[in-house]
Amino acid sequence: MKALVFERQLARFAASRVAADLAGSGHGVGVGPLELLEVDPPALPGAGFVRVTPRLSGICGSDLATLDGRSSRYFEHLVSFPFVPGHEVVGDVAGGALDGQRVVLEPVLGCEARGLSPLCAACATGQKGRCERIAFGTIGAGLQTGYCADTGGGWSAGLVAHESQLHPVPEHLSDEAAVMIEPAACAVHAALGGMESGHTATGGQRVVVLGAGTLGLCTVAALRAHALPGVLVAVAKHPEQRRLSRLLGADHVVEPDEVVRAARRLTGSMALPAGGGAIERLTGGVDTVFDCVGSAASLETSLSVVRPGGEIVLVGMPGPVKLDLAPLWQREVRLRGAYAYGTEETPAGPRPTFDLARDLVESAGLDRLVSGAYPLERYEEAIAHAAQAGRRGSVKIVFDLRRTRAKEHL
Amino acid sequence: MSPRPGFVLEVDRSTPPTLFWHGEGFRLERLPAGSRVVYAPEPLAALADPDAEIRRALEHPLGDSAPLRSLLRPGMRLTIAFDDVSLPLPPMQAPDVRQRVVEAVLDLAAEAGVDDVVLIAALALHRRMTDDELRHALGERVFNAFAPHGLLWQHDAEDPTNLVLLGQTDQGEEVEINRRAAESDLLVYVNINLVAMDGGHKSVATGLASYRSLRHHHNVRTMQNSRSFMDRHHSELHSSNWRMGQLIAKAGVKVFQIETTLNTDTFPEQFRFLQRREWEWSLRDRAGFLASSKALERTPPELARRIFHSIRAPHQMTSVQAGEVGAVHERTLEHVHRQQLVQVEGQTDILTMGLPFICPYNVNSIMNPILVACLGLGYFFNLYRGKPLVREGGVVIMSHPTPWAFHPVHHPSYIDFFEQVLAETTDLFEIEAKYEAAFATDPWYVHLYRTSYAYHGVHPFYMWYWCAHALAHLGKVIVVGGDRAAVRRLGFSPATTLSDALEMAEDVVGRDPTITHLHTPPLLIADVT
Amino acid sequence: MGSGGSDRSRPVSRSRRPGSASSFLLRSPTRPLGAPPLPVERRTGVEYDTEWARRYPVRLARAMILDDLTIPTVRAVARPRTFGRDALERLAGPVIVTANHTSHLDTAVLLSCLPPERRHRTVVAAAADYFFDRHWKAALSAFGLGAIPMERQKVNRRSADAAAALIDEGWSLVIFPEGGRSPDGWGQEFKGGAAYLAKRCGVPVVPVHLRGARALLPKGGDGIRVRLRRGEMEVRFGAPLWPSEEEDARRFSVRIEASVALLADEAESDWWSARLRAGAGGSPPFRGPDVSPWRRAWSLPESADPVSRRSAQPASHGAETATEWDRRR
Repeated sequence: MKALVFERQLARFAASRVAADLAGSGHGVGVGPLELLEVDPPALPGAGFVRVTPRLSGICGSDLATLDGRSSRYFEHLVSFPFVPGHEVVGDVAGGALDGQRVVLEPVLGCEARGLSPLCAACATGQKGRCERIAFGTIGAGLQTGYCADTGGGWSAGLVAHESQLHPVPEHLSDEAAVMIEPAACAVHAALGGMESGHTATGGQRVVVLGAGTLGLCTVAALRAHALPGVLVAVAKHPEQRRLSRLLGADHVVEPDEVVRAARRLTGSMALPAGGGAIERLTGGVDTVFDCVGSAASLETSLSVVRPGGEIVLVGMPGPVKLDLAPLWQREVRLRGAYAYGTEETPAGPRPTFDLARDLVESAGLDRLVSGAYPLERYEEAIAHAAQAGRRGSVKIVFDLRRTRAKEHL
Repeated sequence: MSPRPGFVLEVDRSTPPTLFWHGEGFRLERLPAGSRVVYAPEPLAALADPDAEIRRALEHPLGDSAPLRSLLRPGMRLTIAFDDVSLPLPPMQAPDVRQRVVEAVLDLAAEAGVDDVVLIAALALHRRMTDDELRHALGERVFNAFAPHGLLWQHDAEDPTNLVLLGQTDQGEEVEINRRAAESDLLVYVNINLVAMDGGHKSVATGLASYRSLRHHHNVRTMQNSRSFMDRHHSELHSSNWRMGQLIAKAGVKVFQIETTLNTDTFPEQFRFLQRREWEWSLRDRAGFLASSKALERTPPELARRIFHSIRAPHQMTSVQAGEVGAVHERTLEHVHRQQLVQVEGQTDILTMGLPFICPYNVNSIMNPILVACLGLGYFFNLYRGKPLVREGGVVIMSHPTPWAFHPVHHPSYIDFFEQVLAETTDLFEIEAKYEAAFATDPWYVHLYRTSYAYHGVHPFYMWYWCAHALAHLGKVIVVGGDRAAVRRLGFSPATTLSDALEMAEDVVGRDPTITHLHTPPLLIADVT
Repeated sequence: MGSGGSDRSRPVSRSRRPGSASSFLLRSPTRPLGAPPLPVERRTGVEYDTEWARRYPVRLARAMILDDLTIPTVRAVARPRTFGRDALERLAGPVIVTANHTSHLDTAVLLSCLPPERRHRTVVAAAADYFFDRHWKAALSAFGLGAIPMERQKVNRRSADAAAALIDEGWSLVIFPEGGRSPDGWGQEFKGGAAYLAKRCGVPVVPVHLRGARALLPKGGDGIRVRLRRGEMEVRFGAPLWPSEEEDARRFSVRIEASVALLADEAESDWWSARLRAGAGGSPPFRGPDVSPWRRAWSLPESADPVSRRSAQPASHGAETATEWDRRR
């Protein structure tokens, strides 16, 4: 069957990095280690595993960073080569209890999927994202399906998954809606903070969401769905992103260089000047900043608009950045990572993040964020489009494994 | 040769193109035949010996007032307040009128042995003046004698220790002014009357007041009922100020008002053509226009701004009167009218105007879109007596590049007003009700007003309210050659050329409309019958 | 991950161990606690020793600078006119020259106006905290001006002894008894240092008034713009004053101040009316009127005002207006 395979070839890895630096993100694909190959479908690694035939597979920011050679070296041990990327998958099951059903994949490979018993503390409480045995067990290292040599991944005609990873999709949800459940789950998890966190963005707070790509927009929707007034969004220059932010419930939408001033207005805070009338940072600030960009610049901006004692949540995978931590220390700011999903604490008791995400996709109409679908054969175009999505007025690009031609939705 | 009065030209086929101001630059536009162009009177002769005239005015005051000399005695507390950097426009060549007058007053004060003297720039809620601007207005001699000893103050409307509430008028208008001024034995006010709106009781009641006082007449309702600002007998703004002025007098504040008028000799030699009627342009004038406009096309906006803001106008004093506020102001208005009134018969469907690079609130600064609206719809629209030049439901077409640019030091609250408030709504009453209080009390704006060179947080609102009468009166407002996004944000319609604008206007006023062009600056008041 | 074995497994080279001979030689040594403190070598301020600046080669260089550089510059900038220098020329031996002080130009102008033989055998008392606080400033002042450090307010024994010694050797002393430049253009109270030295060494005091320095280079501060202007100065030398036996230093100082005040009056009016007024006891106050600061500034004579009123007005205006009235009278 056809699959996009990511091989461990250092020279090509480096070449893709250079190409990405020179020609821009997404352009490293042609010379990088990703190739479209005919491969055998992956073998079932053990009991509880079933086959899944993907319908739609999304391209995520973390995938793009990996393909550009820009992801952190931290992941080297959490990935096994060669792997097929693609962790945002809606597809059909063959075998097992869910045979014949349409499902969405929860790609985190925890103790259950790894055949490890008894479960570690995190998996036992449903917090698979914090599994403590992520590189061990019956399958190879891999934090998620799509980074593991033994499971295959979404950018192919077939993969394998443990039954505990699969969630049936209700009839009335389209494939496009279903493929958005996974990114929506990341956003919901960031917004609600997981069960232990305790310091979450709840009602009455003032919040800034930096970045309006898929994750930023989903975060706005998630925050709005869980009752949060006074949300302010900073958007990267692109008018389509601004329009969608407003539709999904942002109160104010501004461009990136305006966010400090806008936050000052919103909070009535005093500010430290930068010279020539510009503002460098606020002395007060907003309660929480959701940084969905993850660059050094966005983290600096976050630190300059968050109030002392406030919280910055890193949503989405950042690269290695250099950051001055003095403001973090002096203002007692909490910097918290929000990765994947698990179980959330709600007024109605603990609920799996994916369930909440499914509700969110439906209520906020997140299927409209799928802007383009490409067949596997046109993977270079697909990845280039995904990398420039903002500029091209798009949000989420997916691989369409149901048809053979590319199609633009928006 | 005595200066010629203003007049209204009817455009025909032999009329040369008309000069339109366009921010930091100018254009020549062809108005359709049958349009009218209102030209200002030529500048009157200046006083031959201004210093002698000033001394004479101080000796022979008007109204119920003793000569200044006899009001000064040793041991008294004297305060001299003066108009701030928003006057005159453009700034005068040295020596400034204020320098002459203040030096004359101080000579008398020195003779009389008055030790306790403080000078106050009557800013109201405008920005503080820089040292250079103060030196220019007062002259170095006064500056060096007062500034190093901390005796040259700038009115701080947010300093609770230096404000005093004098009471309320019978209409419930609170009067709160500068404490030092109110508690002095004598308050001398040095005023420059560039337009008929300035002076009179407005000098002290507005110039030295706080937000608490100002909001009683700087609000939408008052502005809508000021028809126009240049005609104080039909202006709610002035009625309110007059009530406040009378309360100030009754509260025991003794004011010795000194008012001066200037002629309209607005432009120095190299821009002489801006003063002249187009068919009277000599070869030099035409060459000057060509050279300037070509050069300005190639000049980056920053540099063009700096060039224009360095213009020092040669206008000079045409009269000076001193004494009791009311009597002085009546005489002043006579002089202003003598210089600026132009008889115009009948209103028009479309009023066109070219907006220059400067208004009272962007001296040495950037004219942001809000100030463009204020200059066009607040000031130029209101340069009339009797009836507005344009009929109700008519259209105003303004020519200005309207850049989406703000001076971050001088106008920080304007940026927020434009980004946040105008993005939500342009409706005056809604803006006043929902947003004014927050901006007026925001501690950051207060901090910048008091310690930096920023206009007060509420000031952009006042600029918007200044357009209230025009916005209620007009059917449409079109801006020619402006930044489209900025013009739309203001709620106006952008047009690329004047003919496009005239076509757009016809949708509102009908075909074959009457058109009048206001050829100003130099300043004029249209006496519309 | 994992580079090679930890650094602990490698032996540290001998030279890197602290306390070894080569580490001592390569770095500046640490002081043991019990060692006595080092004597201070370089002195600044009043303790600065200016003797080197009076050695012949240095004196020669300074004389050349004074004659060939300073004096032409002073002439170009200030064009000073001198009055009453003959009295000074008739004096032999060292004298103490006292002048009013309003500008940094004062010293250069005064030295330029002294008779040639005397000007090369003169030291200038300069404020220790301003001209001698840093070593390079001290060196420059001593070399360029022939300055010796002195306290502004009350001269202490050390500087008094040093100055007296120099006078005894035959050096004349230029000293500004006000202690510093005038902040507002009027004179300040004369301190007793000059009078004391005159009595101690038995030399006369020559009062001098410098007119117009402040208009050329004012003392800056609080918004006053400091700009060097060109103009004309006047330097008036008064009759020399000998200290009398019965008079103490304090009273002599008052007498010196009165002489300078008389010269100031002379400068603004003329010799005779100044003397008449002095005789009647009504010399205009050297220290200015006892009124508020703005009135003191307002009543400054034009020569002491960097911006005189007349200079602010344009020579002719109104030429561009419609009238052709000729305003030049």
